[in-house]
Amino acid sequence: MTTSHESEKKIMDTTVKPSSFADVAQAKPAKTPGTRALGKGLETRGVHAWFGKHHVLSNISLDFAAGTVTALIGPSGCGKSTFIRTINRMHEFIPGAAMAGEVLLDGKDVYASGTDVTKIRLQIGMVFQKPNPFPSMTIGENVLSGLKLAQLKVDNKDDLLEESLERAGLWSEVKDRLSAHGGSLSGGQQQRLCIARALAVRPQVLLMDEPCSALDPGSTLRIEETIRHLSDTMTIIIVTHNMQQAARVSDYTAFFLSDGGPGQMIEVAPTSEIFSRPQDQRTENYVTGRFG
Amino acid sequence: MALIRSVFQDELDGVSQSLVDLTEMVALSISKATASVLTSDLKLAEEVISTDDHIDNYQHDLDARIIDIIARQQPVASDLRALVTALRMSADLERMGDMAHHIAKISRLCHPDSAVPTELTPVFQAMGSAAEKITNKTGVVIATRDTEMALEVERDDDEIDKLHRQLIGTLVDPKWAHGVETAINLTLLGRYYERYADHAVSVSRRVYFLVTGKYA
Repeated sequence: MTTSHESEKKIMDTTVKPSSFADVAQAKPAKTPGTRALGKGLETRGVHAWFGKHHVLSNISLDFAAGTVTALIGPSGCGKSTFIRTINRMHEFIPGAAMAGEVLLDGKDVYASGTDVTKIRLQIGMVFQKPNPFPSMTIGENVLSGLKLAQLKVDNKDDLLEESLERAGLWSEVKDRLSAHGGSLSGGQQQRLCIARALAVRPQVLLMDEPCSALDPGSTLRIEETIRHLSDTMTIIIVTHNMQQAARVSDYTAFFLSDGGPGQMIEVAPTSEIFSRPQDQRTENYVTGRFG
Repeated sequence: MALIRSVFQDELDGVSQSLVDLTEMVALSISKATASVLTSDLKLAEEVISTDDHIDNYQHDLDARIIDIIARQQPVASDLRALVTALRMSADLERMGDMAHHIAKISRLCHPDSAVPTELTPVFQAMGSAAEKITNKTGVVIATRDTEMALEVERDDDEIDKLHRQLIGTLVDPKWAHGVETAINLTLLGRYYERYADHAVSVSRRVYFLVTGKYA
């Protein structure tokens, strides 16, 4: 039995020594460079989050190297979704929400004063639990909607449309009906349409909050293949309750837990380590289904 | 109704118990095989030979159960190590049963004569005794997951290796007076005991890995 002091020390230790970029480079020697510069990656330093007076997330420091997939796992209510919403500044949309700490994209704090929030969300895209295409827009309009909203101009929209749908693994299924409404697609196709929409603005980072929880196994598999494919050109952070999915798609896994207080990161390691030899007994108990 | 994970824990415990049961079957076989060689007891030799099928079937059933658990429960971490190592341990234990079976077959082949000349009886008594001791300890290691004891089994194996070398020394001595056929049988017997103990060491090493996630 660990004392509260000991567990606090353990948590402090894990946050002081997050996975480093050097570890990532060592763990992924076979990864080929992406088609565009990946940048230095994403870092969070001592991130805390509150809803009103309720402290929901405590001291999260993590490195997400460019071109890696990191899975965030943990029981409901441990702060995983809140954490990723602090990364692209969506957390602050909620009335009474507050955060502390730093989120560094290519070394620059996304919370620095004068930062254009819209620009940050173009660089750090997000895919949600439920597919949310714009129902009144066609498939093509959905994909290009981000450009329109951000008032971005591109030379050849058709090429971008095809590229985005291709990268999302949807092109071959919709290329002959781009003018059909997004709502006419299946759930799995709609989710890939949302991924294509996020990709069209060429983000460096893609946040995915349980993207497959509403999908059947076949659609889930296609999304997972898309994630693996995309990780060659961007950094992906995925929140999932599906342990097998975390094991299949991610390079790194971080385990979050709340013991009644704010959510904390208990352990981060290469995914193969988390699912074969986790260092913390609480991680072992969670991944083996002893709780949560 | 039992919780899903509680059912899973019961299944894991059941696998562990089956390995202990398999170890006890093998321990009984090696004990009887040694007695049959030392006393030219045909009945005991036949018992060991017929028991080997039972050991093989027990191992096949256990492996099928483990594969079923892996497919349904999708274990990870220490649970996955427990099941994967159980598959390997059951194969080692089955081979130990085969070694006892081979020893009994040499005893039956030589019957009514003894396979072991009188002057070598103490060597085979010691080998049989060491093999029984190492098997019983292996059973305790499986049941208790005691990593210290698992490392002890490796040291116990040195005793059998030493007896094996002593036996070979006698057989290649120019003063050997019992002929080629007896020498061949004794070489095989010695080899079977030596391999038997090596498999016990392998089982213990797997328990060490199961507990620590590292190789001994």
